Amino acid sequence: MARMGAVDVALWGMRIGVVLVVVVGTIGTLIKGRYTAAQWFDFVMFGLTIGSIYAQIALGYTMVYGVLRLINFAHGDIVMTGAFAGYFVAAPLDRSGFLQNHPVPGMVAILVVAIATSTTIALLTERIAYRPFRRVVGLAPLICAIGVSFFLEQTFRGAFGSAVKSYPSPEWQRASFNVIGFNVPGIDVLVIGLALLFMLVLYLVVQRTRMGKAMRAVAEDGEAAALMGIDVNKVVVFTFTLGGVMAGIAGVFYAFVYKQVYFFMGFTPGIKAFGAAVLGGIGSIPGAMLGGFFLGLVESVGPSLFLDGIGIPAPYQLRDLIAFTLLIMVLIFRPQGILGERMAKKRA
Amino acid sequence: MALLEIDAIHVFYDKIEALKGISLAVEQRQIVTLVGGNGAGKSTTLRAVSGLLHPRQGTIRFDGRDLAGLGAHDIAATGLVQVPEGRRIFGRLTVAENLEMGAFTRRDRHAVAEDRDRMMRLFPRLRERLKQVAGTLSGGEQQMLATARALMARPRLLLMDEPSMGLAPMLVEQVFETIRTINAQGVTILLVEQNAPAALGIADHGYVLESGRIVLSGAGRELLDDERVRRAYLG
Ligand SMILES: Nc1ncnc2c1ncn2[C@@H]1O[C@H](COP(=O)(O)OP(=O)(O)O)[C@@H](O)[C@H]1O
Ligand SMILES: [Mg+2]
Repeated sequence: MARMGAVDVALWGMRIGVVLVVVVGTIGTLIKGRYTAAQWFDFVMFGLTIGSIYAQIALGYTMVYGVLRLINFAHGDIVMTGAFAGYFVAAPLDRSGFLQNHPVPGMVAILVVAIATSTTIALLTERIAYRPFRRVVGLAPLICAIGVSFFLEQTFRGAFGSAVKSYPSPEWQRASFNVIGFNVPGIDVLVIGLALLFMLVLYLVVQRTRMGKAMRAVAEDGEAAALMGIDVNKVVVFTFTLGGVMAGIAGVFYAFVYKQVYFFMGFTPGIKAFGAAVLGGIGSIPGAMLGGFFLGLVESVGPSLFLDGIGIPAPYQLRDLIAFTLLIMVLIFRPQGILGERMAKKRA
Repeated sequence: MALLEIDAIHVFYDKIEALKGISLAVEQRQIVTLVGGNGAGKSTTLRAVSGLLHPRQGTIRFDGRDLAGLGAHDIAATGLVQVPEGRRIFGRLTVAENLEMGAFTRRDRHAVAEDRDRMMRLFPRLRERLKQVAGTLSGGEQQMLATARALMARPRLLLMDEPSMGLAPMLVEQVFETIRTINAQGVTILLVEQNAPAALGIADHGYVLESGRIVLSGAGRELLDDERVRRAYLG
C-alpha cells in the first residue's frame, strides 16, 4: 500500500468534509422540515431558470475551447455587452409602454439587438485579440483573454458609468401560473423554454449543417480538417458567432431575472458557466448544457438543503459559496468533468 | 510539364534544416514513391506540398501554379489532397460524416453522391459502417476511410504518407493493391513509404531520401535492383 502524503490527506479530508456537510445537512434540514413543498419547488424552478442561462453561456466556452483550446476568459463580458445592448432597447420600449402592450415584438427587438451586439464584439475580439496569438503556445493567449475581459469591462464602465441600472420589468413578467398547486412564474417558463429552444437549434446546427460538421472536425484535428479543404479561420468565426449569439440571449435573460445591468455583471455568471462547462466536460456540447443546469440547481437548492440542517442561518445568501465549492471539487477530483476527457490529454 | 514539380526546397523546423534542397517531379497519371528511413524527411516533404509547412527557399508548382502563399485548405481545393501519416480520421464523426468532410470543397451534390457510391464499391467494409463513429473502426478500416475521405475530394494528385504503417501483412498487400486501382482510375499518386520493396514494386518512378537529401532516383524497378538500395532497405 502506498503511503499517503500530506496533500492526499488534505484532499481526503476535503472529500469527507463535503460529503459530511451534504449528508448531515440534508438529513438535518429534512428533519427540521422548515421549508414547505412550495418553497422547494421555488428553489428548483429558480435553479432551472438560472441553470438554463449558465448552460447557454457554457456553450460559448466549450465550443471555443473545443476548436481553439482557448479559454475565452472574456466570454462573460460578451454576455454583459449583450445585456447592455438589450437594456438600451428595453428601457425606451418600457417607458413608452410598448414592451408592456406588445411583449412579443418587444422581446424580439431586445434579443435581436443584444445578439447582434454580443456577436459583433465576440467576432472583433477573435479577429483583433485572439487570432494573432493562434500559434503561440503557453500562457500568452489566456493572459490576452483576461486583458480583453478587463478592456470590455472598463470600456463599458467608461461609456455608461459604474452605477447599476435597473432593467425594465413589465407587468406580464410578473404573471404566474398555478400548476397543481405550485406557483410557476411566467418569466421562468419563458427563459427556460426559449433557452431550450435555442439550444436545440444550436445542437441541430452543429450536428447537421456543413459548417457544424466542419466545426466538429476542426475540434478533433484542425490540421486534418485543413487537408480536407476546410478553412479553419472560417470555422473559428462560425464558432465565435454561435457563442456570441448564445451570449446575447443569455445576457438579456440574466438581466431580466436579476433586473439589473452594470459593467461587471458578466464576471460571476462567466466564471460559473466556465465551471459548468468543465463540470460537463469541456469541449462537450451536451456536457455544457447538462453542467449549466446542474450547477444552477445545486446553487439554488443546495444552500437550504445542505446548510440549513447544520444550523447556518440565512443559507440562501451562500449560493455562490455552494456553487464555487462544487466547481473547486470538480477541478480537484474530476477535472475531465462528467462527459469529458482530461484537458491535458488533448492533442497540442 | 509535370503535374507536381518540387524545385530545390529547404524546409526548417526552427533552426533544424529538415529538407536540404529537394527536387522531384510527379508526372501525370504516374505512381511516384519517396522512400527512406525514419526521420529522413518524407512527411516533411508532403507537409510542405500540402501547405502545412512553408519552404524557406525553393518552389513547389502544382499544374504549373506556384503554391507559395496558399493555405493548406486552398491547396486541397486545387485538387492536391493528402492522406496524412497515421490516417488522422475524425474519430468522433461518423464514417458518413468523414466522407462528407472529404468532399467539403465540392458543391456538385449529385457527383458527390455518385463518388460516395463508388467508395462503397471500392471499400465494401465501409458501407456497413456508414453510421458508425469512425473511432470504432479497426486499423485497416481506418486506412480505408482515410483513403476514401481523400478520394471524395476528386483529387488530381493524391499524397499518401505511409498508408501501410501499422497494418497486418495481409492488409498491407491490400493497401498497395488499392493504390494501383486508384491510379488505374486516373489519379496521380505520390506515395511515401518505409516499406521500400512494396512501394518501389508498384511505382513508375522512385526517389530515395536520406537525412533531408535525395540520394538516388530512377524507375521503380531499377531502384529495386540497385545494389545500394538493396543494402540499405531490402536487407
Ligand atoms: N515538429 C517537428 N519539430 C522539430 N523537428 C521535427 C518535427 N517534425 C519532424 N522533425 C524532424 O525533421 C526530420 C524529418 O522528419 P519527418 O519528415 O517526419 O521524417 P519521416 O517522415 O521521413 O520519418 C526528423 O529529423 C525529425 O526529427
Ligand atoms: Mg513520416
